[in-house]
Order: sequence, then C-alpha cells, then structure tokens
Amino acid sequence: MGKRDTGAVETRPPRPHRASASRGPDPSDRSLTTGGLIAKTLMLGLVTAFAIWAAFPLIDAGSWGWLAGEIVVVVVVFVVYLRRPLPMKYLLPGTLLLLAFQVAPVLYTMSTAFTNFGDGHRGDKREAIVSIQTSSVTQVEGSTEYTLSVATRGDALVFLLADPDGAAYLADRDGVRALPAATVDGGRVTAAPGYTLLNLGQVNARSQEIGDLRVPTDGGVIIASGATRAFEAKANRGYDAGCDCIIEIDTGRRWTADNHIGSFVDAAGERLPQGWRVNVGLDNFQAVLTDPDISRPFLRTLVWNLGFALASTFGTFAIGLLCALALHSDRVRGRKLYRALLVLPYAMPSFAMLLVWRDMFNADFGLINRLLSMHVDWFGQPWTARAAAIAVQLWLGYPYMFLVATGALQAIPREMTEASAVDGASPWQSFRRVTLPLLLVALSPLLISSFAYNFNNFNAVYLTTEGGPFPADNPSVGATDLLITYTYRLAFGGAGAQYGFAAAVSIYIFTIVAVISAVSFRRTRKQEEVYS
Amino acid sequence: MRIRTAGVTAAITLTLLASACGGSDDTATNDASARTDGNLVIWADDKRTEALRPFAEQFGTDNGLTVEVQAVSKDLQTNFVTASQSGKAPDVVVGAHDWIGNLVQNGAIDPVQLSAAQQQAFSDLAMQGVSYNGQIYGIPYAIENLALIRNTELAPTAPATIEDLVATGQRLGTAGKTSEIMALQVGENGDAYHIYPLYTSAGGSLFGVKDNGDYDPKDLGVAKPEAVEAFKKIAALGEKGAGALKRSITPENAIATFTSKKTAFLVSGPWALTDVKKAGITYEVTPVPGFAGGSVARPFVGVQTFYVATKGQNKVAAQEFVTNYVTRTDLAKALYDAEPRPPALTAALDQVASSDPDAMAFLEAGKDGTILPAIPEMAAIWDPFGKAEAAVIGGADPATAIPAAATAISDKIK
Amino acid sequence: MKRWFTRVGWRHLVGVSAVAFSLFPILFVISAALNPLGTLSSTELVPTGATITNAVNLFDRTAFGHWYVNSIMIAGTASVTAVFLSLLAAYAFSRMRFAGRRVGLLALLLIQMFPQFLAIVTIFLIFSEISDYWPSIGLNTSWGLIMLYLGGALGVNTWLMKGFLDTVPKELDESARIDGASHVQVFFQIVLPLVTPILAVVGLLSFIMTINEFLMANVFLTHPESKTLAVGLFGLVAGERNNNFGLFCAGSLLTAIPTVVVFQFLQRFIVSGLTSGAVKG
Repeated sequence: MGKRDTGAVETRPPRPHRASASRGPDPSDRSLTTGGLIAKTLMLGLVTAFAIWAAFPLIDAGSWGWLAGEIVVVVVVFVVYLRRPLPMKYLLPGTLLLLAFQVAPVLYTMSTAFTNFGDGHRGDKREAIVSIQTSSVTQVEGSTEYTLSVATRGDALVFLLADPDGAAYLADRDGVRALPAATVDGGRVTAAPGYTLLNLGQVNARSQEIGDLRVPTDGGVIIASGATRAFEAKANRGYDAGCDCIIEIDTGRRWTADNHIGSFVDAAGERLPQGWRVNVGLDNFQAVLTDPDISRPFLRTLVWNLGFALASTFGTFAIGLLCALALHSDRVRGRKLYRALLVLPYAMPSFAMLLVWRDMFNADFGLINRLLSMHVDWFGQPWTARAAAIAVQLWLGYPYMFLVATGALQAIPREMTEASAVDGASPWQSFRRVTLPLLLVALSPLLISSFAYNFNNFNAVYLTTEGGPFPADNPSVGATDLLITYTYRLAFGGAGAQYGFAAAVSIYIFTIVAVISAVSFRRTRKQEEVYS
Repeated sequence: MRIRTAGVTAAITLTLLASACGGSDDTATNDASARTDGNLVIWADDKRTEALRPFAEQFGTDNGLTVEVQAVSKDLQTNFVTASQSGKAPDVVVGAHDWIGNLVQNGAIDPVQLSAAQQQAFSDLAMQGVSYNGQIYGIPYAIENLALIRNTELAPTAPATIEDLVATGQRLGTAGKTSEIMALQVGENGDAYHIYPLYTSAGGSLFGVKDNGDYDPKDLGVAKPEAVEAFKKIAALGEKGAGALKRSITPENAIATFTSKKTAFLVSGPWALTDVKKAGITYEVTPVPGFAGGSVARPFVGVQTFYVATKGQNKVAAQEFVTNYVTRTDLAKALYDAEPRPPALTAALDQVASSDPDAMAFLEAGKDGTILPAIPEMAAIWDPFGKAEAAVIGGADPATAIPAAATAISDKIK
Repeated sequence: MKRWFTRVGWRHLVGVSAVAFSLFPILFVISAALNPLGTLSSTELVPTGATITNAVNLFDRTAFGHWYVNSIMIAGTASVTAVFLSLLAAYAFSRMRFAGRRVGLLALLLIQMFPQFLAIVTIFLIFSEISDYWPSIGLNTSWGLIMLYLGGALGVNTWLMKGFLDTVPKELDESARIDGASHVQVFFQIVLPLVTPILAVVGLLSFIMTINEFLMANVFLTHPESKTLAVGLFGLVAGERNNNFGLFCAGSLLTAIPTVVVFQFLQRFIVSGLTSGAVKG
C-alpha cells in the first residue's frame, strides 16, 4: 500500500522540497531559527534527563531487559529528531505511547489465545504446586496450640511459645526447647532474658522471615499464624518430582501432572483446582469453530452488529448534522444556549444515563410507555429491544456528531457557500453541492472510526439490554447481543474467566472488522486524492 | 509400608519448605524493599469499606501500623485475582464466601488457622460457608439471606404460603391500595439469587451432594425433570399467570416499589432495611413463604468473609487482623451498627438480637437456607439460570427453557 | 411568515426539539437528585421534593472533592496533551506522503477494535512492573493513568483531525514553504490557527471521554483519594442496589459541570470566524 501512495504523490506536479521531505534530512532543518534550535536542544535535553532518572531504579534492580528497552527508545528519539525523515518527527511521540500502552498489551493478549490462560490456569506450574501444598497445611491432630511472641536474639528471629499450661518454649530452626527463664503472663511470654520481644509493627516488617521460619518437630513443623499464635502443622499434599505428581499422604491418592492441559489429574479423571498455564496451540481457535453455540448464531449476531453500528453511526450523524446546520446561522438567537444544552447528554456520565434509559424503557413503570400511553414490552421482544438500544445510542452519540459537524461547518470557507448562493442555487442545492461534499471529506474518516467504535460499543448494550431478550431455547445469544458482549459472556460467564478462549474469539472478530474497515477505508482514498 | 509413608511425609515436608521459601523469594524481592512501611491494605466493596474503615484504622493505631481500606467498586473479585497474579495484591480482601472456589483455584488466598474455641464462636452456617475442601479459607463476619419484608399496615398477618401472599396481594390490588402483588426482582434477564427460594420450594435443586458433603458439579439439578416441574409452578405466578412475578420488577425498582407503598410484600435482604426505614414504613421480617404443599423455601445464605491474600506483603499483620481482631465481639457489634447484617459471631448476634429484632428475623428466615455453593462451577449457573427464569416468567414453556439452560450450564462446566 | 420560517424559524424548531430530546432523561436525574428519599423512582419526572441533602451528603460522606479535582486534573492534562500529540500525527498523515502511511492509519483504527476488557490483565501486569521501578508513575497515580490514556490518544483523534487538515488547502503551506518558512513554522504559524475550531472540538471530546472513562480507572485507582469521578460515582450505585441513587444523580449532575464549563470556554473558538479570514490570504 505504501508504494501506491508514493505513486499517488508522483502523479502530482513535483515539488522539490516536498520530495526531499520524505527522503532524507530536510534542508529547511538546517536553516532552523535560533528559537527552533533552542527548543529542540531543550526537548532532547529533557528526554535525556528523564531517561537518566528512569534508568536508576532499573540499574538498582538489575533489570537489564527494561534498561535495554529504554536505551533503544532514547536512541530512536535522538535519531528521529536529529537525522531521520520528517514524518517520523511528527509521529514519534504519540506512536511511542501507542506502542507501549495499546499495541503491546493487545499483542500480548492476542498471544494468550494460544494458551489455556484463565481462572485456575494463571500462573506457572511451580506456583500451582506451592498453592496446592499451602492449601493442604492443617494442624496436626491433637497437637498443642501455642501462644506466640516473636522475639529476636541478636539479629536472629525466634519464636517464644507458651502452651496452655503456661510453660514457655524457645523455637527456632533447630527445634523446640524449654525456656524456663521466660516470664509468662496471661498465657503469653512477655519477657525473656536475652531476647527482645517485637510488637506487631516490627513483626509485620519481617513477615517474610516469619513466614519462612518453620520449626521442625516430630510430627511436622511449628508455624506462626499471625503474630500471636503458633501451631504444629503438616502438609497433607505434596509434590513428588519422581512421578511428576501430587500425593495425598493420608490416603495415598495421586494426581499426575498432565502438561497438555495444565492440571493435576487423578485416575478417575478428577482435576485439582489449581492448574497452570500451558500452550494449547490452535485448540481455542478450533473450539470456536466447532462450538455450535458460537457458530450457529454467529452470522445472525454479526448482521445485527453491523446494523447496530451503521444505524448508530449514520443516525447520530444525521441528527447531529441537522442540529449543526440549524444553528449555523447568525440569525439564530440564543445559539450559545442551544449548543450548551445540546451537548448535555454527552457531558453526563454515560453509564449513569444508560441506567436511567434502561429504567425509562421498563414495560410497567417506565416513562416511555407512560408518555406514549402504550404497553410495549420494550426489552422483552427482539425488534423493540433493538430499536430501544439504537434509540439510546442516538441520544448518547448525537452531541458528538453535532460538535464535530459544527466544527466542520465553521471550517468551510463561507465564501464558497456564498458564491453558490450568488449563482442562484437554493439553500438546499448549495448544501448538496458545496457543503455536504466538503463535510464528507472532513468527516468520512471520522465516520469510519465512529463505525468501528460502535461496532464494539460494549456499554451501549451491556448496560441497557444486556444482550437480551434471549430466546427461550438458547440462553447464550440474545437478540441485541453484539459480538463483544457475547465474547464478554464467553470470557467471564463460565466457571471462571477464560481469557485464552475469549482472545481466540476476539481474533476472529478482529479479523472480520479489519476486513470491513480496510475495504471501506480504500474508498476514502478517492475522496482524499480528489480533494488534494 | 509404614516406613515408606513416613519417608514420603518427610520428603513432602521438605518440599513444602523449599517451595514455600523459593516461591516467596521469587515474587517478593522487588516489593519487599518497596513495602516494608507496614501499610496493611484491605480491599472491599464500597458499602463495607465505609463500615470497616474506622475499625481497621483503630487496629492500625493500636499496633503501630498504617491500615488502608480501599474500595473497589466493580469486579472486586476479578481485580483481586489480577492483582494477585502480578504481585500487587492487597493484604486482606472482604467478599462473599462463594468466591472461595475461584480464589483457591487461582492460588490467591491462604487457609486461615482457627483454634477450636474460635471456630465454635461462629454460627454453624457461617463456618460451613467458609469451609472448602476441608480447610477454612476466611473469617466470616456477617450472614445474609433473603426474607419477606411485609408492610404491616397493608397486610397485618404474615402469609403462610405463597398462595396466601398472592391472594392478599390481589385483594389489596382490587381494593385499589396497591398496584403490585409483590416486589421480587426479576429483570429482563432474570435473577437466580432472588428466585431460588421459590425454586427450591417447588422442588428444584442446583447440585447434588457428594459423600463428603461437598457439592458435586457433575450432578446438575437444573438438568433434572424436577427443575421443569418447579418452573411450571413459578410460571403460574408469572406474567401469564397470577402476575406476582414480573420482569418489569428490576433490581433498580424493587425496593422503591415497596417503599412507595405500591406493594405490601418485598423479597429482599438486610440491605433493603435502610431504605424501608427511611421511608417510614411499618414492617415485619418473616421467612419467604413456600408453595402450599411444597418443600420449605430455602433462600441462599451468603457469608461475608475476610480473606488473607497469598501474595500480600504484610501477611503476619493480615493474619493477625483477620484471626484475632475481626473475631472480636465488640467489633462485630460495631460493624452491625454501621451496616445491619446479622453477625456471624454467636455472641455478637445475641447482643444485637436484644436490641434489634430484624437481625434475628433474617437469621430465622435463613435457617433452612442453602449455603451458596462456593465451587467455581457455580459461576456457570447464574446467567443461564436467570435467563431461563425470565423467559418462563414472561410466558415461555418451561419444558424448552429449562433444558436449554441446563445444556448451556453443563457445556460450560464440562 | 413563511419566509421567516424558511430562514430562521425551522432552525429554532430543530433546536427546540433537539433540546427537548436531550433534556428529558436528564430531568429524571435532576428529579432524583432533589428527591429527599434519594431512590430511583421510576415514575416521577417532576421532582417530588426539593432538598440539597444529596449534594451535601456527597461531600460529607464521600471523597467527592478529591474525585472532582482528580478528574479535572487527569482529564485536563490528558486531553490537552492528546490533542497536541494527535495533531502532530494528523499533520504528518495529511500533509506528507511516506511509505506505510495508509497502513499506519488503518492500524490506528484497528488497534482500537480489540476488546479492552481482555487487555486489562496485561495492562495491569505492565503497570505493576512500572510501579516496581517508578512508583510515581505506576498504579494508583494520576500520571500513570494519564500515560495510559495517552496511549490511546492517536486513535480516534488522529482520524478526526486528519479529515479536517485535508480540507485546509495545501497551497497555503506550500507557498509558505517557498517563501522560506521551515516546516515547524508552517505547522505552528499557518496550519495551527486554521484548525482552531477543530482543536477545540477534539479537545472537548477527549476531555469528555477521559472524564467518563471507567473501565481502566476502576482497575488502576484504589486509593479512595486518588479516584476519579466516574469510579467514585459508580461505587455509589454498585454496592447494594439503589439506595444511593439520589447521591449518585447529584454526583452525575455535578460531574457534568466541568464539561459544560469547558464547552462554554471553547465555544468561542469553535464558532470563531477566524477561518474565513485566513483562507482569503
């Protein structure tokens, strides 16, 4: 596509400085004004200063990967602003942010489509094992419960325990020993010669150490529970690397690791809840295609989704443009007031207003039925629900189009419309011939991006109809479901979030939207080039 | 054989040591230095944040820590799991007990160790709620369930059955005193939580129970013929029947319908009382009535729970806070005063009961209740079940709607 | 009379109908905000009572003041920066021809079509790393959130502005270049003044978008005092059903105020006659 662009430019009369602008250092750069030079130096200086500030924590933590990334960014900035072609100078700042906070997350999320990432499969295998073991720690049956006072001897952390009879013990990595010298008061060790007792704040500061301090005993280990109690515990389940399995000590039951699904599974096929994340290749993509709940209603949902996006985009555009045209005249008094009131729907928090609208469409209590003296079950029937969803979106979205159209009308040189009026054209003709074509040049990219936005307008549906009404025989896809609300239910509606699967669905949807947008985008080129 | 088992035990204990240390080394090297400020962070939803803040801060002052209670308004559970995954978890989370299954499968919470005496201090129902796979995963602090809240001016006697209720409601309607028979929120897409008492009274169930008392996700109650039968009874109350259940009664307007005296009956939880009192309505709280000749109506019982995050940076303080501070009677009482939900601590409940009959009334209404299943599979139930309910109440045939919901649920559970 | 109608009257007719359409759901909110019971009463459009308790409670019982300041700070900074960044990009896309131009534009559009709720986990991971190294721009900070929003700055805005820049005749800047102006001078001195109305519009639009953004802010901000209006207000109704609805409505109305003020301020740029003058030259 890039090549063709160059072609398009070359059909135009060549302009020497323009050509050089896109092909190498810009000659006018060298004739920079002093002010410009100072500004550039300042900016690059700031970048350097910022980079140095940012580098210290990275060096501190030894995060060489991040540091390398940072250096690359700084080098790119310098190269672009000192040498590289002109367009990059304008594009770079926004692009860097875009790459960091949109492109990178999206790509990474897309990559999870090839994994079983989701609830129960979030971390790695080791985390799963640790979690399984920790969850199986119980108090050794019939063992003593101690009160705990955490103390230090020198710098070493020790537990001072008291049993229910008031006997005191010293417990550390070497085991438990009696400590008769300690003072026990109210069932707890309150003082012991040679030891410094810690208060909760101090104890908490050493949470890590305390969690790691396990005092060996015959039946298990003594561990702290909070800062004031300790008990003898044992882990009932453990990982055995030999069989790559989890063994339950009481029963001898085994769950063997299945590294394809990321779970420990026993002979009967039952899984332990804690699993880990594994690569599943194209499984998710295949599942989308073979799942009848997805493939069957897909086409219908897509058609409605397109219809919703088109109706929202062009409906808001039509209303917005009409209002903008109506107020685009010096003869209208109170224009400022009109404009201020018209943008109010857009100024109110949209989720609040969506909830209000939902209430207004209520069949029995809603304002709309009462005003119209009807009894329509708006959200209960497919077509009325669709109409309602679009109506709400028109209300929410037209101030946006109104603002944009107002701006666009202002930008059209008045001479052009006046000239056409002088030629004897009626206002409608001059609108058709002069104003509208110019507006479309300015606004067609916007219409495309607005279409894209509405195509994925999650809130508009989720906060009003929630995708409903749902046919009685299929609770998974509703009449007003957009692909995105549908994906959302797939991702979060099941037994825990299934990010990997939802990412695969998203990639399919993404591909479809991309094709549609790319095709309509090609059509805008004609306009763009005709105008310029 | 004996020796071998012992050997395994030793080996396992060792791995426990090693992996626990290793695990924590891994996740915490960066943060340990960043957060030794002793800043205990608690996440809760907005309501509970408000109630908890003064007490949590008191705990901090008493112990030389700073404690911060932060409200996460939406998707608290999901956000907590996400934060855990990246090592930015809070130290304590407050949420419903039915999160346990999901939090455990994500390794986000630790079991808590309560002494026998401490366990006995809580009501059985509450302990049942926080137990999962033989462990206790959190400290219960309040119990909540649905009950029937009745406007005693409009309906002086409590209905014994749902049929009684409908008859009274219809009579009030004919007399022009109210416009709705009752306010039980349904909404366009149903509400499984609120319909559940009637569903159970009509003979429906959610899961079978395994030998050890845990729910068995493979044994799905919605897939049984009893579920269809139950929904036939519910359909008779619906829009094409008595008109007692309507999709136009939504979460947004159910309580308001009651407080504006458009109906004499509201099925809701303790959270509704704030509004009911504000509206100056004389009311009584009684159990949700069941169908005449049916089983007893069992509302879901939810237990508000304090969890200790596995990846928190202040675990000792968190455990201390949860096991020894939250379990204090005076705190439970104070929390009740801030937000009236029956306390899970028996002693606190007794204190509350003497001054406030509502707490006991709600507890009474929940005594036959079903503890909300904490297994992760429960998450797959809500949505399809609710939609089937809405469809049936709107007039759809239970014989198509319920099996469709059952298929959708079992597809997700797999 | 007929003449009056075709010239002016219809304009008022459209204006009045549009205002009515715009306002009637908002009346509902006003009614609830003034309702002493503060519940969502689904039937009353006209206020059933008048009290300012809701607004007072909002400041007493919540950190509303903090939310307000945060929102204005975040939305203000992010929108001004976003306008500048996207104007730069739009200028390049409109005026220059370079390899990858159309692909770049298309990519800008497409990247936004990926569902954000899936990317939240990743974004959280990225920012939790950032918090480890640079806590001042990490989670729970306004700066981090602003950076995140700026990542999306190029998206919609660039498209919008490119469309407008395309309508500014290229001959203008080309003749200026022949006169010896540098491209920076052309940009700041010739193009920028010509597109003031659209800068104002885009500024307003991104201000509104930012101030209403909820999804990211909810994950990002948990400190009660670092929250934004959207997150804080949602919290009022998110808890148990509807008993905070009056507070919520009062808050929503107050939230609209900065937007209206910004709009009033920008209106003169939007409707300024600057353009027609400049084109003559």
